[in-house]
Amino acid sequence: MIRALIVDDEIHAREEMAALLSDIEDISVIGSCGNSIEALKLINKLRPQVLFLDIQMPVINGFELLNMVNQDIMPHVVFVTAFDQYSLKAFEEKTLDYLLKPVDSERLAKTIDKLRQAIGEKRPAKYTTEEILRIPCLLGNRVRLIGLAEVEFVSSTATGVHVTTMDGDYFTEITLKILEKRTKLLRCHKQYLINIDCLKEIVLLEGGMARIITRTGKTIPVSRRYLKLIRKTLLI
Amino acid sequence: MDLLTFSFHNIFALLQQMSVFLVIAYLFTKSPFFSSFHIHTLHRRQLIVLYIVFSVFSILGTYFGLPIKDAIANTRAIGAVLAGVIGGPLLGGSVGLTAGIHRYFLGGFTAYSCALSTTVEGLIGGFVHIYLIRRYQQHRLLSPMVAFLTTFVAEIVQMLIILLLSKPFGEAYALVQIIALPMILANSTGAAIFVSIIRDQRKMYDKLSVTFSAKALKMAEKTFSILARGFNEESAREVATVIQEETSVGAVAITDKDKVLAFVGAGNDHHLVGHRITSSQTLRAIREDRTVYADGGEHKWRCSLSDTCPLGSVLSVPLRVDNELIGTINLFEPKNKLFLVTNKTLGEGITQLLSDQILYSRYTTQKNLLTKAELKLVQAQINPHFLFNALNTIIAITRKDGDRARDLLLHLSNFFRKNLKRTGNTSTLEEELNHIQSYLLIEKARFEDRLQLEMDIDPALLPLQLPLFTLQPIVENAIKHGISNMLDQGIIRLSAVREPGCVRISVEDNAGSFAERDQKGLGMKIVEKRIKNLCGDSHGLKISCTPGERTVISITIPENGCREK
Repeated sequence: MIRALIVDDEIHAREEMAALLSDIEDISVIGSCGNSIEALKLINKLRPQVLFLDIQMPVINGFELLNMVNQDIMPHVVFVTAFDQYSLKAFEEKTLDYLLKPVDSERLAKTIDKLRQAIGEKRPAKYTTEEILRIPCLLGNRVRLIGLAEVEFVSSTATGVHVTTMDGDYFTEITLKILEKRTKLLRCHKQYLINIDCLKEIVLLEGGMARIITRTGKTIPVSRRYLKLIRKTLLI
Repeated sequence: MDLLTFSFHNIFALLQQMSVFLVIAYLFTKSPFFSSFHIHTLHRRQLIVLYIVFSVFSILGTYFGLPIKDAIANTRAIGAVLAGVIGGPLLGGSVGLTAGIHRYFLGGFTAYSCALSTTVEGLIGGFVHIYLIRRYQQHRLLSPMVAFLTTFVAEIVQMLIILLLSKPFGEAYALVQIIALPMILANSTGAAIFVSIIRDQRKMYDKLSVTFSAKALKMAEKTFSILARGFNEESAREVATVIQEETSVGAVAITDKDKVLAFVGAGNDHHLVGHRITSSQTLRAIREDRTVYADGGEHKWRCSLSDTCPLGSVLSVPLRVDNELIGTINLFEPKNKLFLVTNKTLGEGITQLLSDQILYSRYTTQKNLLTKAELKLVQAQINPHFLFNALNTIIAITRKDGDRARDLLLHLSNFFRKNLKRTGNTSTLEEELNHIQSYLLIEKARFEDRLQLEMDIDPALLPLQLPLFTLQPIVENAIKHGISNMLDQGIIRLSAVREPGCVRISVEDNAGSFAERDQKGLGMKIVEKRIKNLCGDSHGLKISCTPGERTVISITIPENGCREK
């Protein structure tokens, strides 16, 4: 069975897609959600093999979502949109396929054929990804988009990934690994990324370790492994 | 006693000669130079012409003089003094010097003193000129009284110079006794009459140009409203009638490039509308793209259609619009009437005017077309996203609730039908609200709980007229750029309230995302433009946005609504 996740901000569109997919034997819809933040959570949790992804969605659109997904769990992507204002043909090589709403079941069958083939060949889903400029964070029920300049550091704890800014801590679904790769935040510790612009002091410790003190006076550890890189970046 | 008789005789003799002089002056005022001459703005070229003219006058004055006792009683002073008064000391002095030198070479015992005195007289005129200019009395430069008094004084000065410089004094004294009175009086009177001739001619020219301008303006005014409707047979006929009435020419014809569009006046029994152009002058005007004039004298106009045609002269002017020849304007006069030069000028002028008016009317038509096209654009703009999303929603609903899907389809068709069928420039608030109701119901189905609608409309305002398609683009914007980008519930609030001096209709959303879009979209721009067009510049569209909280787009219209235009 091919595990599919449906992401669309309109409930009827999700239901319609689910209904169409339910007619296909080897597809199982393992979840559906209405925005990119939830989608990121579900991708990380459920590891779907294929995304039926609406492009126009609130706060973070379909393209942006893909930038936030770990490459090693990246599902195949089928864009589903009502009107092709993005000239999706241009994305044809990057995505598996695209569908126009209302979706025709015969056209969908062709997409599924492609999908079966890609999975059969164990072809990985690859997308050239772009830099993440704003980190979507959850604060209670609200989503805040935090610009990179606002971020002091990002830390990963048992409860998840936290983005620390001057005015507080926020929870994000994006992993440290992705943030390290697609933002200019620097890795200074297994569990920390630092915004080098917010660095105030660096205190060298015994045993090749160090401590960073940020502009707002917070202390972050620097491990031996990453100190070299930090020093190189700071030219010290 | 004897002396006095001689003086009187001399006065009449001098006055007689002066008449010749005045005839020349009169002829001068009829010359083309004179019509372009304004006393307040003399250019170098005009000053040179005046120098020559007045020098000739002055020298003629010497020749027409009466030889008395080896001297000459003359009217030389008029030219020099008037040159000074009209053109200033430089012109007066130059004319005086020129005539003076001429006089000097004629010899006699007063040769030297006369030469000098004429120059001085020119300068005296010049000083009067400066005096009047400094006192802001330019209008008195052509006053007969000023001319009289200036010449009077100048002539007395001349007599004094003769007495002082001519030798022997005894002879000079005797001469002055004889010539003083006649010369002073004749020159002063002559100068005054000369100036009054110039002035009267000037006035006549001014009066002529005033009537001329008035005529042209009247025609312009009348033809303007006619040509605003376009250039065709009907408007051509009306324009031709106006031209004929205003110029009183025998007949007026307007043609396009090959046929007669209108013919008004004598000969209209055989010069028929719709016929091909037969007049060789008109054809030549079209072929050579220039004005063709047959004045009825040397060049006669012969009607090629009828031997009994009363018309005998024609002016054919090509009518060009935007550098493209579109036809001709033809003015005819009957065989027994002279073609007035003023009508020729007027004919050429009015053609230029008509071409401007036609150009303007084309421009206006295009502008109207553009506005209509823009309206179509607003109508068409809604299409793709809305339509496909709506269809997708309805298809999904069909699976669960056939009745609701049927309902929604009816709303969808209703919305598009209204969109396509709406015509005119304005509609009532009620119609506008009905129109967007279908739209909002479909959007509500699309977003379900994510969209909530609130209405606060003063029912008394429902009959007010506002520009067609005002609300739909604003509401659409609020959903497309506001609500659809929200994770939380979106609220759209429509309100219409009466305010002092106006009615305010607002569309509010709780997305507060307008600031992210730095400028008004095309739809909004068109809405604003149409409100301003139909309701006046003081009304329009206002946007206020509190980021993340709300956007309010409010439009104001006059308290009694917009007028249908």
